[in-house]
Amino acid sequence: MNNTFNMTRFGLLLRRQWLEFGKIYLISLVVLLGIVVGFYGYNIPSPFKNNNFDYAGNLDMRFRYPLFLILGFVFISIVASSYFNILGQKSRAILELMTPASVFEKFLAGVVYTALISLFSYLLIFYLTDLAFVKYLNGHLNAFNHPGIKKVESIPQEVFRDEGFGKYWAYFFALPFLITSIFLLGSIYFNRFHYIKTALSVMVFVGLGSYLVVRFSVWLMENKVRYHHNFRNDGKDQILLAILLITSLITFMVWAITYIRLKEKEV
Amino acid sequence: MYYLTNTVDMININNLNFGYSKHKPLFKNMSMRLSNGHIYGLLGKNGAGKSTLLKNLAGLVYAQSGTLDVLGYDPAKRQPALLEQICFIPEEFYLPSVKINAYIKANAPFYKNFDHSYFTDLIKEFDIPVEQKLINMSYGQKKKVIIAFGLATQAKLVIMDEPTNGLDIPSKAQFRKIMASAMTDERCIIISTHQVRDLDNLIDTVIMLDENDIALKATVEEITEKLTFKKVKEVDDSVFYAEPSLSGYNAVMPNYHHEESKLDMELLFNAILAEKTKFKPLFS
Repeated sequence: MNNTFNMTRFGLLLRRQWLEFGKIYLISLVVLLGIVVGFYGYNIPSPFKNNNFDYAGNLDMRFRYPLFLILGFVFISIVASSYFNILGQKSRAILELMTPASVFEKFLAGVVYTALISLFSYLLIFYLTDLAFVKYLNGHLNAFNHPGIKKVESIPQEVFRDEGFGKYWAYFFALPFLITSIFLLGSIYFNRFHYIKTALSVMVFVGLGSYLVVRFSVWLMENKVRYHHNFRNDGKDQILLAILLITSLITFMVWAITYIRLKEKEV
Repeated sequence: MYYLTNTVDMININNLNFGYSKHKPLFKNMSMRLSNGHIYGLLGKNGAGKSTLLKNLAGLVYAQSGTLDVLGYDPAKRQPALLEQICFIPEEFYLPSVKINAYIKANAPFYKNFDHSYFTDLIKEFDIPVEQKLINMSYGQKKKVIIAFGLATQAKLVIMDEPTNGLDIPSKAQFRKIMASAMTDERCIIISTHQVRDLDNLIDTVIMLDENDIALKATVEEITEKLTFKKVKEVDDSVFYAEPSLSGYNAVMPNYHHEESKLDMELLFNAILAEKTKFKPLFS
């Protein structure tokens, strides 16, 4: 028997983890749905409201974007932060660690639940809710009594048609995985108050890191480097590529640390 | 009593050093071998390290130095091949909010030798309501469920930390009966307990922890061969240790005349703690 990875055992583990994780996860999906529906219900254009149109004369659905980003961050980070928190409780930790699956399989199950399933279910719920509201709105356009009113597009239609999105989305691909990886590490690193402690640590790290990088760059390069626009960059934004590479690299590093923490976890 | 044809060391502890902090060691250079076909009773004062020793064996904590070999594996690596051969019943445990069937469906497939019909028999014998959710059961009922599950895994190494805590009087008798029947030549059972009277007739080897090491490791046969436990009217020099009782004293003394007596585990425990130096030459 392979003591590191076995597909059958991994499948069993995913099924077993669902028993632990599934019920609370489904409840959180219902809460998520409620929040999205609530926000849409409150903000969606209505014949009984004023200011229903944006600057281009379309029905104003701009609230969707900050909602998608903020709620997305909160949802995936909370799910990731709750995955390994059971290891902070002695009795549950014993049961988890004694389950006959390898450390790698247990870690990978965590990644599947927090990075893949949570992200996919969030996108699906947001997409379906948006689609339902957009359909409803388009079916009642006459109620607005506004000549030349255009149909509303669902988020995917709007986003995928957008030139900027098509050009840049791939560079930010790793960002949600970075978020889930950090909160997954927080869930195993801290024994209590995982979410708040992780958020606080990220703030301190990012703040301190940014400050040091800026200070160091200034000390290293101020008045010493000549620069001008479009210098050896072939017209491409190098920073976007750097964002993709750095976020991917940090994500893998954080996952590696999480694996080691899980391996070294004692009860 | 178990008559073994193939006795092998299932657990080999060599110079184990462990402590929750560097300045306060719990085990200093501890060495011990445990073999199949035995039910070991692990005894010790509060804080002597009984649960910690069990956790070391299960790979739940890591030794500072020394080696631990359990069924040919290093428990610290937490390999599935070893984990499926360990049934660990902790003192504090958790069971999810599901019915027994769902729990079995999710957990039993990890153990390739899991015996479903044996599990059903045990659940019936323990009189567990199968339709009730695990989380709504009493502490004693939950304990019986995990004991039944653990034994049905057919694990070769059974580790139990205070298994009779929370069990009512009939359940303790059931537990003893079930454990006696669960003992096979391939199995090694280690039970840590304070309730020595609950397991009096079950344990065949006594391991006593004290002062960072093993104060005693001997079979019941060996103990009663070397010591005699009896009531005496007066305490003289031949008595190693005595406790006052209603009709005199309960005493432990060397068994020079090969008398037959029943091991009084509680008395032995107190005697070893009080008069360690007197017992050491007998069991070295």
